[in-house]
Formats: sequence, C-alpha cells, structure tokens
Amino acid sequence: MSGPDADTREPDVVVVGAGGDAPALAWRLGQQGIDVLMLEAGPFHGNERFPNPHAERGEGASRSPADLSGDLLDEQFTAREGDMGSPVDGKLRWGPADADRAPWARTVPQTGVISQVAGVGGTTLHYYGNHPRAFVPAINDQPHWPLDYGDLVPYYQYLEDVHPVKPAPTTPKAELFYEGARRAGYDLTTGLNVEEEGYRPFPNAILQPDEALQGEYDGDFRDLSGDTLAAHEHQGGPHPRGADFERRAKRGSLVSLVPKALDTGHVEIRPNAFATQVLTRAGPGPLEACGVEYRDTWTGRARRVFADVVVLSAGCIETPRLWLNSGLPDDGWVGRGLTTHHFDFVSGRFDADTLEEIIGQRAVEPHQGQAAGSRLDVPGAGGIAVNTFAPGITAASMYSESVNGFAFENDTSGEPWDTEGRVVGQQLKDEMSDYRRTLTLICHTDDRPRQDNGVSLDPSTEDEHGPIARLDWSPHPEDDERRLDLARRSARLLEEAGAEHIHRSAAAPIFLHMQSSMAIGKVLDTGGEALSADRLFVADHSALANGVGGANPTHTGQALALRTAEHLADRYFDGVADPIPADPTPASADD
Amino acid sequence: MSYARGTIAALVDAVVPGTPGAEGVQADGALDIDLDETVETAFNELQEAPEGPVRSLGYETMPFAPVLALLLDIGALELVLRREREESLRSPKDAYAGGPFSRLGPEDRMRAVRLLEADGLFPALDERYPDVPFGIVAYLMQGAMFITAMAAYSDWGDDTERPQGWRQADYPGPAEGYAVHMGYEVEEFVENDYGGGDGAEEDDTDDGATAMAADGGDDSDPEAWFDDRSRSADEAGDAEGGADR
Ligand SMILES: Cc1cc2nc3c(=O)[nH]c(=O)nc-3n(C[C@H](O)[C@H](O)[C@H](O)COP(=O)(O)OP(=O)(O)OC[C@H]3O[C@@H](n4cnc5c(N)ncnc54)[C@H](O)[C@@H]3O)c2cc1C
Repeated sequence: MSGPDADTREPDVVVVGAGGDAPALAWRLGQQGIDVLMLEAGPFHGNERFPNPHAERGEGASRSPADLSGDLLDEQFTAREGDMGSPVDGKLRWGPADADRAPWARTVPQTGVISQVAGVGGTTLHYYGNHPRAFVPAINDQPHWPLDYGDLVPYYQYLEDVHPVKPAPTTPKAELFYEGARRAGYDLTTGLNVEEEGYRPFPNAILQPDEALQGEYDGDFRDLSGDTLAAHEHQGGPHPRGADFERRAKRGSLVSLVPKALDTGHVEIRPNAFATQVLTRAGPGPLEACGVEYRDTWTGRARRVFADVVVLSAGCIETPRLWLNSGLPDDGWVGRGLTTHHFDFVSGRFDADTLEEIIGQRAVEPHQGQAAGSRLDVPGAGGIAVNTFAPGITAASMYSESVNGFAFENDTSGEPWDTEGRVVGQQLKDEMSDYRRTLTLICHTDDRPRQDNGVSLDPSTEDEHGPIARLDWSPHPEDDERRLDLARRSARLLEEAGAEHIHRSAAAPIFLHMQSSMAIGKVLDTGGEALSADRLFVADHSALANGVGGANPTHTGQALALRTAEHLADRYFDGVADPIPADPTPASADD
Repeated sequence: MSYARGTIAALVDAVVPGTPGAEGVQADGALDIDLDETVETAFNELQEAPEGPVRSLGYETMPFAPVLALLLDIGALELVLRREREESLRSPKDAYAGGPFSRLGPEDRMRAVRLLEADGLFPALDERYPDVPFGIVAYLMQGAMFITAMAAYSDWGDDTERPQGWRQADYPGPAEGYAVHMGYEVEEFVENDYGGGDGAEEDDTDDGATAMAADGGDDSDPEAWFDDRSRSADEAGDAEGGADR
C-alpha cells in the first residue's frame, strides 16, 4: 500500500483521544480482554516514559501503570495559574506538547473564549471534579434523547463507586452560599436524581478531605489522604503532593480512569499522536471504518493503524472536524446541535462584619476549599454553582468578557445587580483588591440543541492536520431568558447572604462545557455507533443528545461512554461478561 | 517601542491603569509589569503560520500583535468619525504608539473595542457578508481583553514567586492546602425515586432505575479500588463490576 507506513500492531479497537470520556470506554473494553490503542494528540503528564513532556518527545507509548509517577506529576503541576493554564503557552492548553510551538488554531468568527485541553485526561485536567447526574427531565421530558434516564443510572452508580463521587465538604464559602440559598427559600436536596429546585453540596469526584482539616492543622499536607482543600483544580490539582499517582484527590481521568484502564493489561496510550483521517472500506452494508491515520506531533511522521473498530473521542470540536476531514457522510447533523450551557457569572462582594456574622471569619477566602463545592439546581433553567478561581482566572472570566459592553456605561437601575458588563480601570482594581471578600457564582444554562450551532470546517485555513474547525454558536432568545432567570436567582441569593455589591458579567460565550455536536439519535444510534458507517463509534461529550439540563456534563459523558463500550463489545466482540445494568436495554441501530 | 507594542500599551493601561493615589502595590498598573510586552508576545504566538505567503516572509507564527494594533486604531478612528468620543483627545504617553487609539481617553479606548466587537463596522460587515468571517475581529478583541486581565492578575509573563496581580488581590499564591473543612451539609446522597414514581423504595428491584442499592457497599470506599490493585488485572476487573450482580 502506498502512503504512510502501517503500524505492525493491530489492536482490536483504536480510540482517537484519551481525554475526559475515552478512558472510561477503554477501561471497560480492557476489562473484557479487548485490546485497545488510544491515540492522544497532547502530552502524557506524570509518566516516566515522557519525563519532560513539554521539551522532548519521550518514548512512543505507555501500557503499564508502573509508568505512572506521582513525583513527576508534582514536578510538572506547579499549581501556578499562568504556568499551568495560559491558553497560549501553559502546560494545559489546546496545542502540541512542544512548548516552543504555538497552540492549535480554530476559527471562531464571533466573540467568545474556548477552553479545552490536549493531553491524557483531556479537559478534565482543568475540570473541577463536579459530577452531578443529568437532570431527570432533561433526559426523559426534553425531546432529544432516544434513551431513558433509567438506562444511564446503573452507569452513574458504577462511576460514583469507582471515582468515587461524594458530597463536597462544607467550607466557609460554601456555608455562605448555603445561607443565602436558605434565606432565599430553597430547600436542601439530598437525592441523586434531581427534578426539583434546591441547593446542595456538589456531588464531586474529589476524594473527601482528611478529617485532620476540621481542626487546627499545622502539617505540610503530605501526610494527608484525600483533598487538601487547596483549590487548585483548575491548575491540574496535583494534591495531595507526595501521594501515589492514583490517589490524587481530584479524580480527573488522568489519575482516576487511566490507571484503571492500564491496569487491565489491554490498553495502550500513545500521546503526541494526532489523528488526521478515519480509514474506511466498503463493507457488506454501508461504509465500514477500519483504522486511523495519525501524525506524530514531534516528528511529523504519519502512520496508519488498522483495527476492527474505531472510536472517536476527540471532543465536541475535533470529533466532527476529523469526521468531516475524513469525508464521512453528513446528513446535516454532523458537528451540529452544539450546546454550551450559555454561561453567566454573578459575583457578590461582602463586608467583613457581615461575613463575621454568617461564617465567623472576615473574608470569603475564595482560594480555600474546593473550587466548586456547592450548587443550586433549577431544572428547566439550569444550575448555579459557586465557582472560585485564583485571581487571574477571576479577572479574566468574571470581569473581562461580556456581551453587554462595559460596566462604566451600563445603567443597571431596576436590576438586582449594581454593575453589569466588563469591568476595567479603577473599577477593576477595586474589584480585584476585594478578591478575598468576593464570592463568584457561575450560571449553567440549560441551552437547547439547534442545528445552526456547531462545528464545520474552515476550508480557507489549514494546519498540519488539515482544514481547521470553525465554531459558530449563538443563544436562542429562550436560552437568554433561562440565563437571565439564573442570573437573577444568583443575585437574589447573594443579596440574601448579605452581599454589599453585586456584579453580573453577562458573559460572552465560553466554550468549556460542550455537548451534543454528534448526538445519539441524530448522528449515532443508541449504542453510540454511527448511523452512516459501521464499526465507527463516538464516545465523548459530542455523543450526548443535549446539554443534560445544565448539569455539569462529564458524569453523563463518562456514563454513556461505559454504556457504548458494552454495546461495542456486544456487536463486534464476545460481549460483556459482567454487564453493568442488571437488565441491559438493547441498543437499536435504527433510531 | 514598536507600533504594535505601543498600541497594546494603550490597551492594557486602560484595563489596569497605574493609580498613583492608591496605597502600596495598589498604585501599580499593567505598564509597571510590562504587560504590553506579555500581551504582544501572546498575540504573536497565538497561531502557527500556515505554509504560504506569511511563512515565506519568514514568520513561523501569525503576526497577530500588529494586526491587533491596527484593528484598535481602526476602532478608534471609527469612534472619532461617528462622533461617539466622550473624552478629549490627548497626546500619547511615552509607552504608547502614535496612532488614534493611543490618543483616546481610557474609556473611549474601551468604546473603540466595543465598536470592533459589537456595534461598529466589522460587526455590520459580518451581518452583511456572512461568508467572510469578519467575526474573527470580535474574537481577537475578546482574546485581547481576556489575556490582558488574566496576565495582569497572574504569573503569566512573570515567574517571580508572587507577581504584582496576586499581591494586589492579596492572593498568597499556590498552597498545599487549607484546614477549612467544616463537615458535611449532606452526609450521603440517596438514590431517590423520580418520574412521579409509584412510591417505590430504594431497594425496589422492579424498576431498572432503582435496581441497584444507593451505595455499592464496600465498593463505595475509595480504598476498595486501591486495595484491588494488588490483585491480578482480571480479578480487579471483575471486582469493579459491583458486588450485587
Ligand atoms: C476550567 C474547566 C472546568 C471544568 N469543570 C468541569 C466540572 O467540574 N465538571 C464537568 O462535568 N465538566 C467540567 N468541565 C468540562 C469537562 O472538562 C469537559 O466537558 C470534558 O473533559 C469533555 O470530555 P470529552 O471526552 O468530550 O473531551 P476532552 O476531555 O476535551 O477530550 C478530548 C481529547 O481528545 C484529544 N484529541 C482531540 N483531537 C484529537 C485528534 N485528532 N487525535 C488525537 N487526539 C485528539 C484531545 O487532546 C483531548 O485529550 C470543565 C472544563 C474546564 C475547562
């Protein structure tokens, strides 16, 4: 065959991406003895085969949990915001591992900010470990899902056991939020299946903190197990330092699912491998996937790997890009129907006496405790969560991006906030000098899938991997209404908690929770396999049928990936020895 | 000082100005930490130059900083022509370039940004010619504001132990942890009924959704998995399947 060399090894399944969801699928397949090769575009942190992942290529692939090193993670994850999180040259960015190179490009012809990470663990390297289930009505009552909520529950339970997912601890900033929610008249929610309004601690995939942190503690935190409440989730959250790799508190896929996948002995992960083509051949029925062409991001060398089944897990933007660049069929929904939770941010500044009264300390201390540990669910509209960050991300997300101009020219009379829009100049300096007395809330809107929104190719701009993705997304007026409802509730809650100054950002689109750009029911059948090609599956958030109501998406993305793995094994291998649901629902190919 | 650097200086100085009246570190602004250079560098390293004319001029990356500067001047010019300026023109500070953006008052500079992303010529062109991605101008403006704010208040472009922005926010820098654990508002979540159910209890097994116990017994203990690791991979895989199947 002409063209790039073929790998001599032929795995049973090749998976494109080793991000948030793919490791769940790979682990499940590995458990069945199915050989999996994962191709990941970005670096592999904390791995002895890649000791200097941003400076040199290292070895080709990793297939043993013995390669994983907590010491390397400690060295690489400095917890500094710019060093880790600069989208241009940080260690966690959408770009090649090589720090001397620029990030990879996307065309975004509108205002907005994208936050995605290339690397083993994907965007969960940044994520805050929030793992609520979907809101029940978003699955059962909205028209998008060809599955029932009940079909997902066993997979949720499985993940809740293994990450594990537990109630976040109360901390002073959480208590401030709870008090605001109580005074605003909300009830406490204790159930996992949410249909009603209410406040609650986040179900978080973060190991619960050591009891030692309940009292006076003056150790170095290395003797603790579980979360140390250092609030460095965004920066990769390597804590507790000194612990074994797989005992790090924040259960991003890198430390939670990847070790389990490698442990099966059937999963190999090849970082620095950017897939550029899905290879197909004419099958007995429709088109059939048979492999992937990829490019080594350090050497530029292209290779092909052939497999019985191909799974795309490259995320909501790159999965459709790869699909379209491979010339796979598109009936109008490939890349479309993208939901983003149409974020908003509302913050409250408190005076020291008020804080003293409510939480017994004179500052909110946003940098202490989990980044996001408490929430208010509003099924039908979305959710509100405490979202706290170090100062750089606070200034950038809270005060510098808005669709509503600048606070200095906006009239807010009649609104429940004192200022709205971007904050600059003296006003920004004032806000930031009060950082430690500020509580920031995020609104996750239950925005609905629409065909106009999503990913297409930008034929005028190519990088070394082909035409780049173009992203277009704008809210429907109903999405705007839901968001406004959430912003108003946020302001009310902050006011009840005693905030002296409330600010609303009226955020510009932030592409960070992305879902449903390759939805089951539209592009995929209920088993996660392409409707238009055999042996081709999608297992990432793009497969979700909608935005799961505004709940953080990863729990559902991983649950669906586990389910897809089982259907893949049923259809093309020897099935699943130990199906997760007691009574699995048969997937159908003709939805 | 280059045209790009000087025009970007006028931008970052409007976002985080020096405020000499303020106390201590609060008096300093973006220019005191050369944020103009950080933002210029970031813009010039945003995207690799594709094969073609830009690369043949010797650029490895797209020279977006001069593009940003040029756009800011166009926005400033538009603001002036529309007579939407609200502050008097002024002679540029030493750190600034000499174009129209550098001559606007600080709030007018922000108004120029708003024209570029939302209300001005480029957004109008974007509406009118949807095939040409004029909206990229808005994306670059949002990027400039985001990068400026994030870099001003973090270690981006400043690897000293406690950069100015962290000091201004009174953020101590990365920590190993905090003893702020106050117990639990909810000890364990419950596997509650849903769907206006039939009042089935948690252990009701004829409903697929509630077929499993709320809590997988020993499996819910994180230690369980860690302990499993000492077993063979196959056994561990089985154990993960849960106890009650
Ligand atoms: C700051 C932040 C906080 C967040 N917090 C939460 C939270 O608390 N809870 C929650 O549920 N969600 C959270 N999210 C969102 C969550 O991280 C993502 O929704 C999730 O990671 C998406 O999973 P995915 O598998 O679809 O994609 P990703 O995790 O993005 O994984 C895709 C992977 O594919 C790789 N890839 C892409 N293209 C290719 C290619 N062509 N070849 C090979 N590899 C490729 C990428 O490098 C990447 O590793 C957060 C996100 C951010 C940025």
